Amino acid sequence: MTFRGKNIYTTIGAICFVACSLFQCGNQENTTKLPKHVDFNFDVRPILVQNCYLCHGPDPSSRKADLRLDTFEGATALRDEGKRAIVPGSPNKSELVWRISHTDPEIMMPPPESNLKLSNYDVAVLKKWIDQGAEWKPHWAFIPPTIKEPEQFDTEDAANEIDNYLLEKMELKGLKPAPLASKHTLIRRVAYILTGLPPTPEEITAFSKDDSPEAYEKMVDQYLNTSAFGERWARHWMDIVRYAETKGHEFDYTIMGAWRYRDYLIRAFNQDVSYPQLVKEHLAGDLMDSTRWNPDNNTNESQIGTLFYALSEGTHSPVDVRKDEADRIDNIIDVTSKTFQGLTVSCARCHDHKFDPIPTADYYSMYGLIESSRFSPVPANFTKDKAKSHEEILQLKKDVRSIIANALEQDDSELKKMGQKSMNQADGADDLNFDYLGDFRGNDLDGWKSDGMAFGQYSTLGDPEFSNDKMVHFASGKASSRMFSTGIYGALRSPNFTIDKDFIGVYARGNKATIRIIVDNFQLIQNPIYGGLDKKVNSETWKQVIFNIADWKGHKAYIEFFPGTYQRHVYNLPKEAFIEAEYAIAFDEDWPENIPIKASKTHENPSLIANWLERKDSPQEVALLNDFIQTNKKALKIHEAEKQQQHIEELSASLRDSVFFIGINDGFGINSHVFNRGNHADLSEEEVPRHFLSAWSDTVSAFNSSGSGRMEFADEVLNPNNPLTDRVMVNRIWHYVFGKGIVPTVDNFGLQGKLPSHPELLDYLAIQFQKDGGSIKTMIKMMVMSKAFQREVAGGAEAEIADPQNILLTHFPLRRLEAEAIRDGLLASAGNLNQEMYGPPVPVHLTDFMQGRGRPGTSGPLDGNGRRSIYQEVRRNFLEPMMLTFDRPIPFSTFGNRNVTNVPAQSLILMNDPFVLHQAEVLAKASIIHEKSNEERIKYIYIKTLSREPLEEELQSAKAYIKILAQSYGLNEAEGTDSLEVWKDYCHSVYNLKEFIYLI
Amino acid sequence: MGNRKHIIHNPMSRREMLGLCKSGFGSMAFMGMFGSLSSCSTQIDDPKSIITQMGQVPHYVPKVKNIIFLYMDGGISQVDSFDPKPRLDKENGEDPKKKFKVDNTQFDNVGKILKSPWDFKQYGECGMPVSELFPHIGSCADDLALIRSMVSDFPEHTNANYFLHTGSGIQGRPSMGSWVTYGLGSENSNLPGYVVLDGGLIPPGGLDNFKSGFLPASYQASILKSGPVPLANIQPQETIEGLQNKKLDFIKQMDDTMIGKLQNADAVESAISNYELAYQMQSSVPELTEFSSESAATKKLYGMDSDDPHTRSYGAQCLLARRLVERGVRFIELTCPKVKADRWDQHAGLKDGHERNAHAVDQPIAGLIKDMKARGLLEETLIVFTGEFGRTPFAQGSDGRDHNPSAFSMWMAGAGIKGGTIFGKTDDYGYRVIENETTIHDLHATMLHLLGMDHERLRFRFGGRDIRLTDVHGHVVRDVLA
Repeated sequence: MTFRGKNIYTTIGAICFVACSLFQCGNQENTTKLPKHVDFNFDVRPILVQNCYLCHGPDPSSRKADLRLDTFEGATALRDEGKRAIVPGSPNKSELVWRISHTDPEIMMPPPESNLKLSNYDVAVLKKWIDQGAEWKPHWAFIPPTIKEPEQFDTEDAANEIDNYLLEKMELKGLKPAPLASKHTLIRRVAYILTGLPPTPEEITAFSKDDSPEAYEKMVDQYLNTSAFGERWARHWMDIVRYAETKGHEFDYTIMGAWRYRDYLIRAFNQDVSYPQLVKEHLAGDLMDSTRWNPDNNTNESQIGTLFYALSEGTHSPVDVRKDEADRIDNIIDVTSKTFQGLTVSCARCHDHKFDPIPTADYYSMYGLIESSRFSPVPANFTKDKAKSHEEILQLKKDVRSIIANALEQDDSELKKMGQKSMNQADGADDLNFDYLGDFRGNDLDGWKSDGMAFGQYSTLGDPEFSNDKMVHFASGKASSRMFSTGIYGALRSPNFTIDKDFIGVYARGNKATIRIIVDNFQLIQNPIYGGLDKKVNSETWKQVIFNIADWKGHKAYIEFFPGTYQRHVYNLPKEAFIEAEYAIAFDEDWPENIPIKASKTHENPSLIANWLERKDSPQEVALLNDFIQTNKKALKIHEAEKQQQHIEELSASLRDSVFFIGINDGFGINSHVFNRGNHADLSEEEVPRHFLSAWSDTVSAFNSSGSGRMEFADEVLNPNNPLTDRVMVNRIWHYVFGKGIVPTVDNFGLQGKLPSHPELLDYLAIQFQKDGGSIKTMIKMMVMSKAFQREVAGGAEAEIADPQNILLTHFPLRRLEAEAIRDGLLASAGNLNQEMYGPPVPVHLTDFMQGRGRPGTSGPLDGNGRRSIYQEVRRNFLEPMMLTFDRPIPFSTFGNRNVTNVPAQSLILMNDPFVLHQAEVLAKASIIHEKSNEERIKYIYIKTLSREPLEEELQSAKAYIKILAQSYGLNEAEGTDSLEVWKDYCHSVYNLKEFIYLI
Repeated sequence: MGNRKHIIHNPMSRREMLGLCKSGFGSMAFMGMFGSLSSCSTQIDDPKSIITQMGQVPHYVPKVKNIIFLYMDGGISQVDSFDPKPRLDKENGEDPKKKFKVDNTQFDNVGKILKSPWDFKQYGECGMPVSELFPHIGSCADDLALIRSMVSDFPEHTNANYFLHTGSGIQGRPSMGSWVTYGLGSENSNLPGYVVLDGGLIPPGGLDNFKSGFLPASYQASILKSGPVPLANIQPQETIEGLQNKKLDFIKQMDDTMIGKLQNADAVESAISNYELAYQMQSSVPELTEFSSESAATKKLYGMDSDDPHTRSYGAQCLLARRLVERGVRFIELTCPKVKADRWDQHAGLKDGHERNAHAVDQPIAGLIKDMKARGLLEETLIVFTGEFGRTPFAQGSDGRDHNPSAFSMWMAGAGIKGGTIFGKTDDYGYRVIENETTIHDLHATMLHLLGMDHERLRFRFGGRDIRLTDVHGHVVRDVLA
């Protein structure tokens, strides 16, 4: 009996071991020793998440038996049968323990049909935890980080706190750290990890000769401060934000100015712009109180951050535009929440998150943020100087008005009378057979949003108009993009409205200008289906511009006017472009005959002049003013104003814009409904107020913003009490430095994510990061300065057995270089690297295997002009094969952790791709030119490619191999020595050594 | 030269594999990751036992080992091919809006009810009606299980293509071929497990229809083209006989020395072994496209002697597909040839366009079925014939048809399929499904089922979710299974 029992026990144990290791249940690490104190987060919750939460978790829709085990209240609640799932302190009274220990399929949990099975270890952990009182804690990542001081180790092993935390864990397992790596290994490692390029021979020599204690730190600083650093780290971030330069789908349209975002990142990493600043610029760079200016050319940096919203894919003719909007916004929510919070909020699109405390309300709250935001061209050359000129002009305009007002006031009494008369006029009319969408004939823009500088904040009503430097007239009211001059960027956008009529009409005039109806935020307007929503305005005389929008009744929409046009979805603004509009209406059948000026507000001042001066006048008052100056022309002394006007015109020309990127700006706040089961056609009754994620706070308060609320969202992300922001970022940095995150699921800190291997270290780093003001370079340096970073790749035999995955970092993890580092390393070692930075991407090189719609007419150069991989075009439908094959992610979602595959296609590239062979040839030429003997050339090639000198036996092998190569070509030894073919083959072979693509 | 052939290292070491399993990597990815089941078994003590313990793949006894997916890009018209509608003849020229509710269409140019320009004939013992467009395929009617009740979620090509290929209308998800190779691996380590034969037209949405999304890049399709270099970088660049071999020997020697100094370098070991595989692919891939061993009769069967150059080229693609199946390639998709008309997408000129397209593919496809059958290959291969959606029973303009996601026809033939079946029903106009609606998810579930996989259990964790090819949908269409 005993024997039998034992047997079964061991069998079950064996099976459980396999099952557990496959599913990573718990951090149990195949030990049978139970922890002294069972921790809910690190010992218990993983078991519950993996085995119980599908039916007893936070999502009520899939909950069974009305039992939830994700909260203390739920788990300890008195149930119908008078029992409780968990009775703290009493495993024997706990129904849960009874069920998980039972073998009757009717009783046991998890039920057999779930295919889930608890191991004996799991059962023991649960029992002990209940016995110890079943303490409940929030998910570890939702508890703010705290410092738990590590044991202090000898400085020989510990360069900083990082080492202390790591050594503490090693010691627990009885493991010793590996020795430090050699100097050439270190410089290669540091160079590649910090800059993505191999060290130059000069750098290697300098470092190996420097025996000072600061040699290593000096070397690290040097790489941290090269511009290549930004190129390397920007590319990491680009994985996270699904960077691409085209929109994919059918025609792969360009994402306007996407590369400016890439350059922005490179500059930001090189300048060590603080992480909070970057976060804010990404989420709400258009809404910042103070702009960050590019120190090189004074252009607005902050707003480029918002380009990250626009990096999604996009299609041009969705038949269901609402669904299209839902899918685009879903992508933005997905990327935003993973990137900055390490949370998978988009899992809550259809139902409350199955595992994390993320209700659908949080999803639709974020949905509202994006739904209330509007994609828009943003001038790329908006400089500090322009901003200054703009303010100056506004001041001058005010001055002009004051001068004129002074002149008018000299005949005050008559004007006063006129003013009183005007006030008696009644505005408005009844029984209109149309709706006003905007009327600009009054003194304001009727609640529309004016983006950019062109339209200003008012209508033109009462603006003094000049002809030949003489003031002739006060303008009638209209929205105008040439308040200052033509060719200045600006867009005027209406509030959101629901389409309920057949037509929209805009009374407008302009040159090379556009009016668009944006239905459900849909941007890629073109035929078929949407072509009619974009109309060009090319008429200096006033015209009725009519849109037939009957097909979109019931949809939300807004109207936008702007000078310039979209061509193939890229915005252009010619110098002469402008647009003006008097009003916009919605109507059925025919354009209404009578469209009276919409009643404007009552006048606040008894004085007509004061009204005018403060832009509170009415069209009638302006008519009176015009009458007045008509009859008193000569008396008016406004020379000074006329002089100022000339100055205004001169300054205005400098405000013109010509280059743009796509960014985002604020529309009008929309609270989204919940889409039942994620179905955009099935809306909940109530709207979800926009608020921040509720995962770790008991109360969430709605955002107050009349706009999108993105700034408030950003503030919450950067709230010092937010437990995720800093942890997620330092973990990403750690991942890129050490090859694997402390939390391996770098994009998921939720309950389905992996637990941190070193939670105390992670907390320490997060707190330190905040103390350092979010300096990314400081954080990287601290990690690189640790002894852990400097250790050999080879771990000891002991570590191999006790910690085969090197979770404790006894040695530096062996890693293959990334796609970009391999390609850039080929170019750099060959001496073929073009170090030019920034600018439009190098067109992608097209092979015969890259076909399909939207294929560019011409191929880019084979070697990408020798420029670094980050500058090569990222066309969604024509991704570079070499990048793909070496695991650069497909840009559709956040990829903080690249796959590392190992496939023959990689070997085929290094063996046969003409690009690789070309680099081999360039390197061969250089070695022949620079060095005389075979030995010197071999050394030259070693230093260039592997960052070290060859060992003696390697030198001998190489020499022998050169001979063999020469023979293959029918050459004797001497001929072989100078044969380009031979050296090309040799270099090609070295490029195929694993040491070239691994950091060893 | 000879010394390259002696070993195929296990592309993944035992420890690496166990490590992967331990780290909970997906659940069954390990087999496909570095090649194939068969090559794994060279060094794993008993890989099957591990699989069994994992309780993963195959979930059931598979009926099918390989899939040939004949993609009829552009949307073939159901009422002109496999779903005859006499009522269209009667009401030809009448206003459809007076007959039934017309949905929004892509081009919003709704014309009159348009009868099919082709007659239908009954074929085989089952008496399946097939239009004049497909006399050869008609002659295989008893092998086909026809589904007339297909629906798609998207009436627009690109989304519909992504949907058909990846189970999601949004760009970036793994393709069905990637899922299949992720689940089952390939049976041939010298060839990729998932191959797209580029017949000349890459469908709208581009190569992302065939990519591996969040699955490792090893599962993306390899694009094969006809011609001397069928696969990218497959041709050695060395001009001297035997030189590449000498290089590879040197590289291996240096690598082996280097690796000797490292412990725990399994990844590097795998990278070294991949050179062996790559080397072998260099000869096995060109050999594939070398048809000299095929008899004239075989070539004729595939239409490779046709006057129509497109029939000839598609015939060659079909023959190539058979050769890939013979070599154990798991999933093969054929894209359409570039005939004068724009794929099957006849918004205008229906008669001419569909005839050109049909002529290019009809005989080669029938040839493929017959040849596969004669060789016994159809017993373990599934052939799938489908577009991304159907077309409207009313005209677009005067002589075209617009997209129709509410009804279309597709068929399957081969292993596990009940030949001569007609499943599902559309209304009298062939406009909407009225019986046994079958979704793309259902199609995927059925394909996976035949391969021995439960579509609900074939998952990959990405972004906090266990994602499936069939999302949260899909039912196996059991009525068409043998």
